[in-house]
Amino acid sequence: MLPLVLTGCAGRHNWLASAGAEAQAVEDLFWVLILGAAVIWSLVIGLAIYAHQTSAPRKEPQARRFIVWGGAALPTLVVGGLLIWGMVILRDITAKEGDLTVRVDGERWWWRVIYDGPDGPFTTANEIRLPQGQTTLFRLTADDVIHSFWVPALGGKMDMIPGRETSLTLTPLEQGNWGGICAEYCGGAHALMRFDTIVMPPDDFRTWLAAEAAPAEIAADDPGWQVFLDEGCGACHTLRGTEAQGPVGPDLTHMASRERLGAGIYAMTPENLSRWITDTDRMKPEVDMPAYPHLSGAELEALVTFLMSLE
Amino acid sequence: MRPKHAPRVIDQGSVWILVAVPSIWAGHFLLSYWIAAIWCAKLPAGASLAEIRWVIAGLGALSIAAIAGLGVIAVRRYGGEFLVFEEITESSERGRDRFIGHVTLLLCGLSVMAVLFTVIPGLVIGQC
Repeated sequence: MLPLVLTGCAGRHNWLASAGAEAQAVEDLFWVLILGAAVIWSLVIGLAIYAHQTSAPRKEPQARRFIVWGGAALPTLVVGGLLIWGMVILRDITAKEGDLTVRVDGERWWWRVIYDGPDGPFTTANEIRLPQGQTTLFRLTADDVIHSFWVPALGGKMDMIPGRETSLTLTPLEQGNWGGICAEYCGGAHALMRFDTIVMPPDDFRTWLAAEAAPAEIAADDPGWQVFLDEGCGACHTLRGTEAQGPVGPDLTHMASRERLGAGIYAMTPENLSRWITDTDRMKPEVDMPAYPHLSGAELEALVTFLMSLE
Repeated sequence: MRPKHAPRVIDQGSVWILVAVPSIWAGHFLLSYWIAAIWCAKLPAGASLAEIRWVIAGLGALSIAAIAGLGVIAVRRYGGEFLVFEEITESSERGRDRFIGHVTLLLCGLSVMAVLFTVIPGLVIGQC
């Protein structure tokens, strides 16, 4: 049983990975809590066993004094101290300041991500890149139901509530691809609402940000682009710099530069993308995007080649 | 010392002192909650609680003063004591008074802690 339970304690979703300053603050509190609880539990159980087995005469005043101090005064102090410590952590991780601000909008079942680029805000989706060692302020909203934004290895989590804006800061300390999840049940494909959080050196991040802010590079005679237009993909998806400006689904301007497809659930490969287009609902049950099984083999191949070129 | 003028048990309404102490705690909690909720609802998201936290703390100080006042009454009029090594089993007017005084003092301690636990988040968390 234990090995099964402990499988949750490794890898890119590990909230004890200490990959971010905020996760470390929560982890410190966790260890103090768990060790303190272990000490108190051992003392209480030890005393209970001793009281059961000893034949020493009972001393009522001692017992009463023990109950007053150990049962009332000490717990009040411990709980009061933990309350203040927890409050300070909560205050710090919801601080309204950061070196960088990223807005994230929870949708069923994906993430709309808005960065402040060199020439103003631009939208991307389902993958968040962050500069190592800098504090990012996340401003969180939801479009439909309550979601919760959580990158366990870095810190958090925080609810995303329709009609309200919540905030959270993350200060990633270790490079890597850390998993993000929706931590509030939000409907059928809730468990498939994921994202990648890629922590990179600040210089690389700036290069990436400039590239990500740029419009899509499209050859007007690309047969896949024609399929994209003919099938009406642009009614839901945006390719910045083109007439495709649909706001409903994820922005696809640089989709092939993302590591995963379908909101963090499948590797970004031509095979997966092809299946996604023809068997969307099987890849992600209840997803809003309709499937396109009627595309001919040539059309599908052209469309996939085109989309995989959007880097 | 035998306490004087202690009202008799239920028929003269003496149990009010038991109800009053936790009611102050409940009142402080509700007022703090309402004030913060209305303040935050009327101002834009992420507004500061700085102005309100002192209102909550001030209400907390008033509540603790009122609880302390009731604690004094419990000691003076009911002969209340923090009894740790003794049980009150005496079936008499005086025994009942002492019991009410004793329970009131315990409730005073609990309520002061509860009011403080309401004030602490207001002081630590600075925003809505």
